[in-house]
Amino acid sequence: MPLQLSLQQQSFLQEEEKTQIERAQKDPRFFAPLYERYYDAIFRYVYRRVDEEEQAYDITSSVFVKALQSLPKFEYRGLPFSAWLFRIAKSELYQSFRDQKSKRTVSIENVVVQQVVEEWTDTYSEQDKARLLNALKQLKEQQLQLVEMRFFEKRSFKEIGDICGMSENNAKVKTFRAVLKLKSIFHQKE
Amino acid sequence: MIKIILDRKEPSEAEVRAHQDFNQILAAHLYQQKVNNPWRYWYYLSITCVMLMLV
Repeated sequence: MPLQLSLQQQSFLQEEEKTQIERAQKDPRFFAPLYERYYDAIFRYVYRRVDEEEQAYDITSSVFVKALQSLPKFEYRGLPFSAWLFRIAKSELYQSFRDQKSKRTVSIENVVVQQVVEEWTDTYSEQDKARLLNALKQLKEQQLQLVEMRFFEKRSFKEIGDICGMSENNAKVKTFRAVLKLKSIFHQKE
Repeated sequence: MIKIILDRKEPSEAEVRAHQDFNQILAAHLYQQKVNNPWRYWYYLSITCVMLMLV
């Protein structure tokens, strides 16, 4: 069962995090608790997008080095600290793809593929599965990112918006369009 | 070309934690800071000049 925090607890945690950030901005040694808190989430975000585990660890390390370098410039403007880290992770990932150090990978659970196919065709076959995977490969990078975050990682639209640098509503609309596009590619080859 | 991996096994929390090393991150950051410091080359030169002028 997911951990539900009351608004009071959430604001307490935010305040605590804010204090930790301010301390880390003055002295990088105090960045340790933030590193401990977000390492796992950032690693998994990176891991699902690259084909080699070791590469994922390397990219995660460079995300935190970059975060430490940019920390003095960080300002609280309503954007959660985690989203700021995910943005750095996203930029490090794409740098790694550009440098051809790692390959763009999409990690999906078979169950999710089956659910989507059944929803769109009422039946499920290996051929349909292959068609969906093929359709995913034809999406534009931003559309793929949105589908990936919403359906494979079950992130909220607010979180997707924060990571991609757009409003919650915009994230909703763009994700909806991306799904429509995926659906049309999927049905095209029927 | 995108690679799709189905039912990929993710490393456990303990495995991921074993790779955490804040000291390494801190060391890399301090090294970067040192390398990016524009005074890195001028510092010793200016100290030498000042010393020479004083002498």
